[in-house]
Amino acid sequence: MSQLYEGKKGEKVLFMGNQAIARGALEAGVSVAAGYPGTPSSEIIENLADVSKDANMYVEWSTNEKIAVEVAAAASFAGLRSICVMKQNGVNVASDFLLHLVLSGTRGGMVLIPCDDPGALSSINEGEARQFARLLEIPLVEAGDFQEAKDMLKWAFELSEEIQNLVMFRSVTRLSHASGSVELGEIPQTEPKAQFNYKGFILDPVEGPVVSVPVEYRHGLQQEKLKKAEALFEESPFNTYAGPENPEVLVITSSGATLYSREAIHLCNAKDKVGLLKLGTTFPLPTKLIAKHLKTTDKILVVEEVLPFMEENLKVLAQELAPEVGQKTFYGKRSGNIPQTGELNPDLVAAALAGILGQTYAPQDQEYQTKAAQQAFFNAPVRDLTFCPGCPHRASFWSIHNVLAADNRDGFVCGDIGCYSMAFLPCGFSSLKTLHAMGSGTGVASGFGKLGQFGLDQPVVSVCGDSTFFHSGMPALVNAIHHKSDITMVILDNSGTGMTGFQSHPGLPVDAQGNESPALDIPTICRALGATVEVCDPFYPHKTQQTFHKLLEMPGVKVLIMRQICALSPEKKGKKQYEMSVDETICMGENCGCNKLCTRVFRCPGLRWDEEKKTATIDEVICAGCGMCAAICPSGAITRKEVA
Amino acid sequence: MKLFAQTQLLEDVQGKGLCVGCGACVDLCPYFTTYRGKTAMLFPCDRETGRCFAYCPKAEVDYDEVYKARTGRAFDGTPIGPHLETYKAKAGEKTAECTFQCGGTVTALISCALDNKMISGAVLTDSEGRMPKPRLVRTSEQARDCAGSKYSASPTLSVVNQEAKRGVRNMGVVATPCQALAISQMKMNPTDKPDFEDPVSLVIGLFCTWALDARKLEALLAEKGIEGKIIKADVPPPPAEVFVVETDQGTVEIPLAEVREIIPEGCSICPDMTSELADVSVGQVEGDAGFNTLIIRTQKGAELVKTAISQGYLVTETLDGDKVHNLATASANKKKRALAKAKEMGLLNTPDEEGRAAMRVSEGALNKIQP
Amino acid sequence: MGTATLTKDPYNLIITGVGGQGNVLASRVLGNLLSDKGFSITIGETFGASQRGGSVMSHMRISAGESWSPQIPKGQADMVVALEPIEALRVLHTYGHPGVKVISNTRSIYPVGVISGDSKYPSMDELQKTIEGLTEQAWFINATDAAMELGNPIFGNIMMVGALAKTGVLPIDRDGFEKVMLRTMGEKKTPVNLKAFDMGAEMIN
Ligand SMILES: Cc1cc2nc3c(=O)[nH]c(=O)nc-3n(C[C@H](O)[C@H](O)[C@H](O)COP(=O)(O)OP(=O)(O)OC[C@H]3O[C@@H](n4cnc5c(N)ncnc54)[C@H](O)[C@@H]3O)c2cc1C
Ligand SMILES: Cc1ncc(C[n+]2csc(CCOP(=O)(O)OP(=O)(O)O)c2C)c(N)n1
Ligand code: SF4
Ligand code: SF4
Ligand code: SF4
Ligand code: SF4
Repeated sequence: MSQLYEGKKGEKVLFMGNQAIARGALEAGVSVAAGYPGTPSSEIIENLADVSKDANMYVEWSTNEKIAVEVAAAASFAGLRSICVMKQNGVNVASDFLLHLVLSGTRGGMVLIPCDDPGALSSINEGEARQFARLLEIPLVEAGDFQEAKDMLKWAFELSEEIQNLVMFRSVTRLSHASGSVELGEIPQTEPKAQFNYKGFILDPVEGPVVSVPVEYRHGLQQEKLKKAEALFEESPFNTYAGPENPEVLVITSSGATLYSREAIHLCNAKDKVGLLKLGTTFPLPTKLIAKHLKTTDKILVVEEVLPFMEENLKVLAQELAPEVGQKTFYGKRSGNIPQTGELNPDLVAAALAGILGQTYAPQDQEYQTKAAQQAFFNAPVRDLTFCPGCPHRASFWSIHNVLAADNRDGFVCGDIGCYSMAFLPCGFSSLKTLHAMGSGTGVASGFGKLGQFGLDQPVVSVCGDSTFFHSGMPALVNAIHHKSDITMVILDNSGTGMTGFQSHPGLPVDAQGNESPALDIPTICRALGATVEVCDPFYPHKTQQTFHKLLEMPGVKVLIMRQICALSPEKKGKKQYEMSVDETICMGENCGCNKLCTRVFRCPGLRWDEEKKTATIDEVICAGCGMCAAICPSGAITRKEVA
Repeated sequence: MKLFAQTQLLEDVQGKGLCVGCGACVDLCPYFTTYRGKTAMLFPCDRETGRCFAYCPKAEVDYDEVYKARTGRAFDGTPIGPHLETYKAKAGEKTAECTFQCGGTVTALISCALDNKMISGAVLTDSEGRMPKPRLVRTSEQARDCAGSKYSASPTLSVVNQEAKRGVRNMGVVATPCQALAISQMKMNPTDKPDFEDPVSLVIGLFCTWALDARKLEALLAEKGIEGKIIKADVPPPPAEVFVVETDQGTVEIPLAEVREIIPEGCSICPDMTSELADVSVGQVEGDAGFNTLIIRTQKGAELVKTAISQGYLVTETLDGDKVHNLATASANKKKRALAKAKEMGLLNTPDEEGRAAMRVSEGALNKIQP
Repeated sequence: MGTATLTKDPYNLIITGVGGQGNVLASRVLGNLLSDKGFSITIGETFGASQRGGSVMSHMRISAGESWSPQIPKGQADMVVALEPIEALRVLHTYGHPGVKVISNTRSIYPVGVISGDSKYPSMDELQKTIEGLTEQAWFINATDAAMELGNPIFGNIMMVGALAKTGVLPIDRDGFEKVMLRTMGEKKTPVNLKAFDMGAEMIN
């Protein structure tokens, strides 16, 4: 059934970028794939996990990205091909190991696949993995369309084996999560044998131990590998040019911006005067190829997303090449033609290009645009993000908010990463007061919890998802306990990695490939570490709040586990536990004594306010039947009936 | 009565540090709660009129209006307020022994009212650890568990609101003066909703010069190294100048100067020492720890006292004239101080164009009190 | 490629709705169907955070020739399929032009701001008039209620696909749809989806 594995050579299929990448891995004969979920990267591992048994692969959702890279590296050390996949942030997490790995070098082909998120469509930063390629001194390749997403990955393995080092294959949201046509290649039927050789001389790259010392020697070797990669890049079929021989403007682009640039040239009607040099190998830049193209024109527009990475590297090259190619004028980020933040689109590129060509680009009929803008302003109310109907996080933050407000000592919550990050918004009663990286909530709390010495007398609370707990929450908890910090850590255990699509994690009895696996029990772990631990169900707010109040009064490290399965989990999705209704005769509505607590404050999307009747109602299409609103209604107007 | 709602209550009372935590605004709705002696706002409410503001004894209290509604007479500044008789009283043999604060008059009267089903239950103030803990009691035995003064300001009225919401009516309440004032405002049903009808039928008022901030008192006791279970706390009459705390491990005296530091700001604008809006008011008797001063103020109060005496719950004696005189002087002084303070804060009879007042008092009363 | 041709190349289709309405599935089905017919398809989607009660949008570029950018340029949508009516309006604001067509579901999903009373949801009459004033042709169908008859509001997305097929703006046929369903959903789930497709088509006249 799955075209991913069953699809035959030559067949043309519609694939999402991440499926194309997964197919690329299959065609490359990858044996081991490890990753940690993160939008927009997750579908790569998910797709591979689905076919892993047929394809004789080992696929895992690792506990965090650093471990994912380590697991993949082991495969490489044993002579197998491996990939590790993560969202850009994951590279930050893995960077320490990576910096050593690139010194020790790899054996079996190994490719790191970070997926960046320009415009932060599903992130809370706009960080870039490209910068790491330079920092790590490893080759960087980037696909410009869906076909390349598959084909280049296979090529990246050949490159990795050629230079015996890690290669970075970077994707972005608009490639990973977009879909396009892909012509399939062959999946090799091989049975690779794993063997780790270490008995050779310490400097022997194939038979010796794999270490990063002696550093200077290995660093030099690493730079030679990079030179070799550059030489190979000169001939790469993934660097392509389309356009006139001597274009008025040369557009140099890569990755997702390729499709925008192509369309922009079309929008500007400028095919005959603008050339498009699309680079698949973006670090290190192939000098000769660049020199050849620089010679053809004086004006160069660099089109890339977020920071001027290519632009700066190109400028350095252009300066070195100036005697040969002459002085060039560059347009891009530093000239202000292309924005340095946010994602690009065809319009932005077209506007930049038109500007350089002395044309104007007016995408929309002005009159229509004005009218539509007005109508949308008045009639299309903004759709703010919110927790899903029936989401346990809404219930958890209801209790967290109420307890901290009642406690009345200016207590605050240090936030963390997951669906529950949204609790800094009104949907989580604006509870989060700090929000940074995975695991940081409890780390920051651990620090706050030591400031009593300087007069801080506010209760310190952190929240942490179950997946985040294993990823990086545990070391922070250990730190807090060891240093007798005064904090209450709330673990929001919704039985999965919710935000990214319900991937498994070490707390669950199943792994990525669907095998039964030992589930690590969070309460047991926290108790063993020495914390005072309580477990509650956020759908019982009264009990939850009592327990939370009690813990808040105690000194030291307390852990409160709020446990309730995610509304979107396969177990729950589409199944209502309760049939809900509002008794109009009891509902107090806007009156003193309620004033629309359910719709105005609690704000579950399953509720509606009936402006005519002046009562709340249930939107049965949206309501997930969790019953929580019945628990908060002050008048008992909302009733729930168990669904048989 | 000038009606406003949460926004103004937060601004005028919480915002100015005048909340005494009486509990009148708590549990009427989901937006105010009380926890460990402090009243807290949980979520903003955008109503323009509401009971929270209407009931609060520190926000826009029109003394004439409240006194007229409750006693039939305007507020004229008389030191101990409208009353019928004064006595010296203590619990009679029908009231079982326990640790009364003074003579046990309050517990005796509540027991009598409960046993005779004159009220459906009584909202009293027990303690939980070192925090005051209001509860609804149904029997005289439960009433005895609540005997003894908790010098912390207590959110007693939150329980009145909770029970009223459950449909309980005809409750008795033992209230401090601010609480008696809040109850009088409840009785006026200012928002005119039948559901919010007066749930209280008997108010036994306590004399009160000030209460203490519950959390700060807890901290002060901890700071003084006072351990064990508190059996009784007392402020002996002048010139003692101490706060006496008796625990199961001994008795400790804390200088009043230190204790005064933790009086809520809101007490400083309270003009009432003797719970003038109660049915009967009970306090100490100078130099006679086994007795109470008892002021009967309403017909209902008089009937209760009569029944209590006839059934042996209570015994009364006449109160010496000089004791009445001293009480009046102390009461008059509290009025004077409170009005002067409110005036200083711009909260007395504030003209509309300058904002809202905490209290509105007639020209005549002002002349009498001379703040 | 078969005999099917496009009225415009690339044909730009936007499918919009609210997270959880099955937007992505609808675009995948259409994409696969048209891809089977030999067209070159690019779909641009937003997932992740935007699914949590937010607006979601799929951009589909359908072409006989090259592959186009996964984002449609401003003012260049040819057809907007909206699973939720105010989302149609939101899309028109950025991607509409006087010649655009719209098929919109009439069942509203209130944004939280509306639920909480901070903003107002327009009346359906007003909304339809507004959309009509911004389009060359607009169809309004109550797909959600019809889907409820099938037992689950989620079938609304497939009804919209059926409705789109009936308008004839794109070479979408029932057989092609069935083929894609069998391949992606399996035999068990295909009949009910076909039923939804047909019900959607019936609502267009
Ligand atoms: C905060 C406070 C300040 C006081 N200040 C003075 C004063 O300055 N001068 C004076 O003469 N008398 C004062 N009293 C009154 C005095 O302490 C006795 O409560 C009163 O004399 C009744 O004594 P009793 O023996 O009848 O009480 P008991 O029979 O022991 O009964 C005491 C009753 O008081 C109630 N109670 C206890 N603490 C509180 C509280 N914090 N809030 C509301 N109700 C409570 C209990 O529910 C109980 O029913 C004060 C009381 C309090 C609570
Ligand atoms: C270093 C890093 N890796 C991955 C991600 C992507 N990511 C965002 S939320 C999340 C899921 C967290 O799951 P959990 O802690 O269980 O919370 P839930 O979403 O279930 O509430 C992940 C993996 C990230 N933001 N940073
Ligand atoms: S919380 Fe209850 S009483 Fe208040 S508006 Fe909602 S249904 Fe009505
Ligand atoms: S039961 Fe209430 S809280 Fe739960 S999903 Fe339905 S409307 Fe929302
Ligand atoms: S004084 Fe009483 S009514 Fe006023 S705000 Fe404080 S607790 Fe509420
Ligand atoms: S509902 Fe009534 S009592 Fe509660 S905050 Fe609003 S106005 Fe005040």
